[in-house]
Amino acid sequence: MSLAGERPAEITQYQQVQASPEFIQLKRKLRNFIFPMSVAFLLWYLAYVLLATYAPAFMSTKVFGNINVGLIIGLSQFVTTFLITTLYVRYANRQLDPLSEHLRRQIEEAGL
Amino acid sequence: MGTTALVTLICLAIVALVSVAIGSLGVRMARTTSDFLVASRTVGPTANAAAISGEYLSAASFLGVAGLILKDGPDALWYPVGFTAGYLGLLLFVAAPLRRSGAYTVPDFADVRLRSVPLRRVCTLVVIVIGWLYVLPQLQGAGLTVATVTSLPGWSGVVSAAIVVIASVIFGGMRSITFVQAFQYWLKLTALAVPVIFLVLHFAGDRRSFDRPAPPEFPADTTVSVQTDVTLEVSQPVSFSARGVLDGRQENGLVRWQQGTTHTVQQGASLTFSAGTSVPVVAGTPQTDASWLTPLSGKREYQLLEIYSLILATFLGTLGLPHVLARFYTNSDGRAARRTTVVVLAMLGAFYLMPTLLGALSRLYVPQLLVSGQTDAAILRLPAAALGENWLATALGGLVAAGAWAAFLSTSSGLVVSVAGVLFTDVLKGRLRSFTLATLIAGTVPMVLALFASRLDLAQTVVLAFAVAASTFCPLLVLGIWWRGLTDRGAIAGVAVGGALSAVSVMLSLFDVGATGWVSALLIRPAAISAPAAFLTMIVVSKLTQKRVISDVDHVLLRLHAPERLGLSQDRLPDTAG
Repeated sequence: MSLAGERPAEITQYQQVQASPEFIQLKRKLRNFIFPMSVAFLLWYLAYVLLATYAPAFMSTKVFGNINVGLIIGLSQFVTTFLITTLYVRYANRQLDPLSEHLRRQIEEAGL
Repeated sequence: MGTTALVTLICLAIVALVSVAIGSLGVRMARTTSDFLVASRTVGPTANAAAISGEYLSAASFLGVAGLILKDGPDALWYPVGFTAGYLGLLLFVAAPLRRSGAYTVPDFADVRLRSVPLRRVCTLVVIVIGWLYVLPQLQGAGLTVATVTSLPGWSGVVSAAIVVIASVIFGGMRSITFVQAFQYWLKLTALAVPVIFLVLHFAGDRRSFDRPAPPEFPADTTVSVQTDVTLEVSQPVSFSARGVLDGRQENGLVRWQQGTTHTVQQGASLTFSAGTSVPVVAGTPQTDASWLTPLSGKREYQLLEIYSLILATFLGTLGLPHVLARFYTNSDGRAARRTTVVVLAMLGAFYLMPTLLGALSRLYVPQLLVSGQTDAAILRLPAAALGENWLATALGGLVAAGAWAAFLSTSSGLVVSVAGVLFTDVLKGRLRSFTLATLIAGTVPMVLALFASRLDLAQTVVLAFAVAASTFCPLLVLGIWWRGLTDRGAIAGVAVGGALSAVSVMLSLFDVGATGWVSALLIRPAAISAPAAFLTMIVVSKLTQKRVISDVDHVLLRLHAPERLGLSQDRLPDTAG
């Protein structure tokens, strides 16, 4: 699986793709989603833990029946995970895939 | 042996036989995983997702989570949340680039990205360690299931489960095909959903509530036999009759414990409580039902550190687990992978509702587990305790036990196959090179561990494997995929440091080396230290050996990040999907 035996023509193709503005844009779009989303994601989880440690009275406030605020936030951690995934899927399908297709077509037309 | 025990044993035997049979009817595995990939790519995303979920849900998810909910309340939700979020992390950071690299395992990825033979060897070792650490709680769970439902000793369950797993791998030689794993998901879900329905109906008619500022009460006269040394806290004065060693003294008769006191009970003691007595709980866990409902109400020191460490381990460790990574290749392209992930998360979320509910119900019906410390047995004991000794409880009990066994067997076989494969390819040389020998080694070592290591809660033991993965493969994959500057020396150093820190602390916890304070909290959950240490080491050593960055690193990275089917990435199978 190593690239040691690649021919010069293919290496130029790599450089071509790498330099293309479309590829740079694709990478940037991907990063612009993943990293802020991950930070937000982690902060939200951390917020739950911190709230539970430093605001126990708030967390024990009952909402209905036996269910308190803490339980609701806890269970909603699941919902958050699901939500983030759905957002990512939508973002990737709408923003990343078309760029990717475009890039691929460009390369295929130009390169070979 | 009573009828219940017999019926359950029969259910377990059926599950075992079916596993071996399906395993041997299955396709023989090549050293690559292309056979099962081909099978998987022909089924739709839902079946694929069910297969992934089926293999992912192990003893920890099936029994362990319920046991922790019984003990700790909503704090235990971090385990399923972590398992689920870790899967999302895998999708966001690792899945697509890894698939584009053509590598199916992490040692393969190390080859592609860094081309270092020593690194590959280190990675191989880590795969084996993680695999064994993950199989360990499965076998312990098997032992617990058998011991709980019958009067057979725990080791019989451990040994028989190990034999079944080894046999199904040797005779089938493969990781179960998509079909079987998908079926496993639905079986496990049913094995829990059906009892949930009956038990919730029973609970609704039972007029009891959790919302009491009082500890749980024994619903009936109960005798608890203490299986492991345990330290108990008493919140309301309680008297009971005891036979065994309590607080270092041999007792044989009536014992009275005052409010607010702590006592130790040695393994082998037998305590009898009458109905309505309040339940002493394991020291450090929430005492009253009202506080149990509130997050972070246990009074263990360093609870925040424990949770932080747990979050790190599960969020980061999932992407290093061998059986999870390989399943990601069952999708033909990025779009399908994303769709599958959404369905997987939905299935995992739906599944985790069950042990959560059952764990909560256990607090009412089997509170004696809080005394014996064997909270993992909660789901197994719940039907009989709630519904009484009748055919329905027996049937439900059998169903749950069968689901539990399905969980242990399916996860264990996948892992034993991974470990055996790695042993076969990279470790056994010359005349020793036989897949059968590799499988025997892969299956026997965790069996021995399961027989002699001390039993932590099942979910905690599984997280040990996550912690090692989080401290070794996670930094390697994340830095390897996203950072140009990673060098082979940096990678080896990072994996060695993270691996050593996490593995040593795991061994110490498994063999009960005592410690106090934050050290002991970290021994069981090393990820808070070992994962950052691994990342840091990798980065620092890579910077120090900058010259060793491979010359065509840009090309390698491009291949990882460029869109697929550009002809840049060399998939092992021809892309017939077009």
